[in-house]
Amino acid sequence: MLPQADLPLRLIDDRAYLDFLGPEDEPWLRVLLAELARFEGRRRRELAERLAEPLPCDAPYHKRRAATRALLRLWRGAPALPVGPQGLRPSELRAQLFGAAAMSEAPPEAIVAEVANRLALPAGALMESLFADLPGERRVIAPDPPPTPREAALRTNLAIAQAVLMRAARVQVHVEGGVRPIVRLAKLRGLLCTVADGPGGAPPSLEISGPLALFHHTLVYGRALAELLPHLAWCARFDLRAAAALRGRIATVTLQTGDPIFPAAPPKPFDSALEERFARDLARLAPDWDVVREPEPIRAGTSLVFPDFLLSHRLHPERRALVEIVGFWTPDYLAAKLAKLRQAALPACVLCIDAAHACAPADLPPGLPVIPFRRRVDAAAVLREVERLTSATTVPSAA
Amino acid sequence: MRLDFDRGTILLREPPAGLELADVPGVRWDPRVGAHRAPARLAYPIAAELRRRGVRIAGLPGPALGPPSGVRPPELRPYQEAALAAWRLGGRRGVVVLPTGSGKTRIALAAIAATRTACLCLVPTRALLEQWLAALRAVGADPVGRFGDGERVLAPVTVATFASAYRHMPAIGDRFGLLVVDEAHHFGRAAAPNGLLGSQDDALEMSIAPLRLGLTATPPPAGAAAARLAALVGPVVFERSVGDLAGRYLAPFERITWSLALEADERREYDALRDVYRRAWRAFQGSHLGASWEDFLHHAARTDDGRRGIAAWRRARRLLAFPHRKREALALLLARHRAQRTLVFTADNDTAYRIAREQLVMPLTCDVGRREREAALGRFRAGTLRALVSAQVLNEGLDVPDADVGIVVGGRHGEREHVQRIGRLLRPGAGKQATVYELVVPQSGDARDAERRWGRLAPPSRPAA
Repeated sequence: MLPQADLPLRLIDDRAYLDFLGPEDEPWLRVLLAELARFEGRRRRELAERLAEPLPCDAPYHKRRAATRALLRLWRGAPALPVGPQGLRPSELRAQLFGAAAMSEAPPEAIVAEVANRLALPAGALMESLFADLPGERRVIAPDPPPTPREAALRTNLAIAQAVLMRAARVQVHVEGGVRPIVRLAKLRGLLCTVADGPGGAPPSLEISGPLALFHHTLVYGRALAELLPHLAWCARFDLRAAAALRGRIATVTLQTGDPIFPAAPPKPFDSALEERFARDLARLAPDWDVVREPEPIRAGTSLVFPDFLLSHRLHPERRALVEIVGFWTPDYLAAKLAKLRQAALPACVLCIDAAHACAPADLPPGLPVIPFRRRVDAAAVLREVERLTSATTVPSAA
Repeated sequence: MRLDFDRGTILLREPPAGLELADVPGVRWDPRVGAHRAPARLAYPIAAELRRRGVRIAGLPGPALGPPSGVRPPELRPYQEAALAAWRLGGRRGVVVLPTGSGKTRIALAAIAATRTACLCLVPTRALLEQWLAALRAVGADPVGRFGDGERVLAPVTVATFASAYRHMPAIGDRFGLLVVDEAHHFGRAAAPNGLLGSQDDALEMSIAPLRLGLTATPPPAGAAAARLAALVGPVVFERSVGDLAGRYLAPFERITWSLALEADERREYDALRDVYRRAWRAFQGSHLGASWEDFLHHAARTDDGRRGIAAWRRARRLLAFPHRKREALALLLARHRAQRTLVFTADNDTAYRIAREQLVMPLTCDVGRREREAALGRFRAGTLRALVSAQVLNEGLDVPDADVGIVVGGRHGEREHVQRIGRLLRPGAGKQATVYELVVPQSGDARDAERRWGRLAPPSRPAA
């Protein structure tokens, strides 16, 4: 992550404005990329030394520093190869040479020559390989293909925005479409996700933070919060606000759809092969129904319920039903899930539960149709339940 | 009512009717989960306060790991016994301040043996992690857990790097009853008036451990950082300086400064580089009164003169790090002391590698892997390596056996770094007299850096013989 001293941002009152790299930065980024390319095959330390100094053209200081750090991650060091007929690694060469030096009173050149001779290596090759495995001494390998100036700018912008979020204790985010992977990732990282009402009737938003953030501006959750950002780029819309500790004060920063940041790899369309097969079966069996994977979440108190599928009738769109597949689970997980479903009071929801882990009927919400499955969800049975349920009910609108 | 550990905090559940929890120090209402919450560090003080108010506590997170078995208390010197007693009297919370080489680790081992509760030892570096593992095994702790350097193994006695503890404390903060914090001065020092805390302080916030022992040679001066450290670990309960222990428990040492002028061509180059830099700096200062070095770097990158100034400043620094006469002096000193174990300290890794290449001295840097580092220290201990060169790895805590001679080629981190470096040489031995050589370029930034190093150590310097 970038150190805050390298972040191109302006602090005005209690707000931070990030200076993202754009098309106007591409000329000097091109120079920077050329400098990086020039050092291919040379030592990484030499490249780092060169880049610590300014470029031969005008480049904004903080942007240049941020881009240098972000791009240096892509120019990796080549692993050191064993040398000589004995195939010795550099650490073995060091042990031999420095051990011999400790036992001898001869001048260093003579010791190098003697050890090189013993290892059947030219003295120059011995000294050249002596530290070849250390990070600074490794030969630089350029990425293939190297980034374009445009991609370099996007990668730098992502690094800048993530470095700011690294210094945040909590974020508030409005998300439309694709909220489920965000909540899932946040929970995997040990964060708390709650739904908060927007002011003056504004749509509710997700508050994401960690337990300790209640007490002070902790940076413990910064890494986890920063990890969410590239995934937000796959949401239809997002608007994120965070309070970050920047240059000795707390400042609010906003990030939103359209900010030029490098996205994460696209999310997987399905959580499992089971769900993928079910969606395929259902689409084949029910040509009159649209099968929507991961529809908008439904609010249940201060949290959200994320149904796996929404079935919506093409000719009668008021006929809608949710389908929830519960495969791998623990008793606590299932209890929490069912409590949420009860709280959400869904009128048309079909629950498919792995028969290997059947739960007691008393645990289930009253009237909720349950279809047990083993290895494969019976799409025809689900469809029959959906047809029956939607003859008179509809699904509530999204949160 | 119950106090449950929740990811580095305590949730206060099922309070009796009428109990006002919001006025218990450290407790806040958490609307996210609909319960009162407090940092895990306060678990036991809060439980005590609730009991004082007549509340029956049905559940309190105790150390989830059992007590360590087989830990034998090591023999202690009188001042180590006194330090341990002072810590006990302080409610088994507090910081012990002793010079490097005086055996702080032994005090911690004795505390672990005496308290008989699961213990987490926090150390700043991977090198120290290895050292602590070895020290714990040597007194019979088995198994010993480790968090850091790519491993995550829990045991009743576990050693973790600061960075690893910071990342994993939400998951392991309820496992231990005793925290031993080596090099405790790393905590508390970023305390700021606006409430921003040093990030790694939260590693200590998220542990329930009521017993805490801090160890350091260089405590923070009185102020916000010291107060914060006292809140996290406890106040300083025992302190002895190098002067208190030198002679009997620490080897006495002699400081010898070699003033090594630059050669004529180096001086010309240095002065020319300084001129280029000074011109850029003065031009900037003339229009930016009171501006910082950071502001200068920011501004200078926009102009040709500024860019030249920064490049010149870097080259001047590089030149001072290891000029010709330092190279000659180092070769001479290594030859003179070739029968003794010698540590060479540099300002940066590049200089360490240069010395390694030119003088064939084994480098110990952060780049050198764990196994190779251990092997090198083992060979240094056995005498099959006579010298080691390092920029920072030897600065802190690492137990380097019986070094007699230190050669300071350069350093940039002032007094704290220097105290730690000199401590490497003070392990006592029969008739031992340690020698510290300092190679300094007069009339340069190097001389100013050297002046700043000597504070509380400060034996009189004598010029080179």
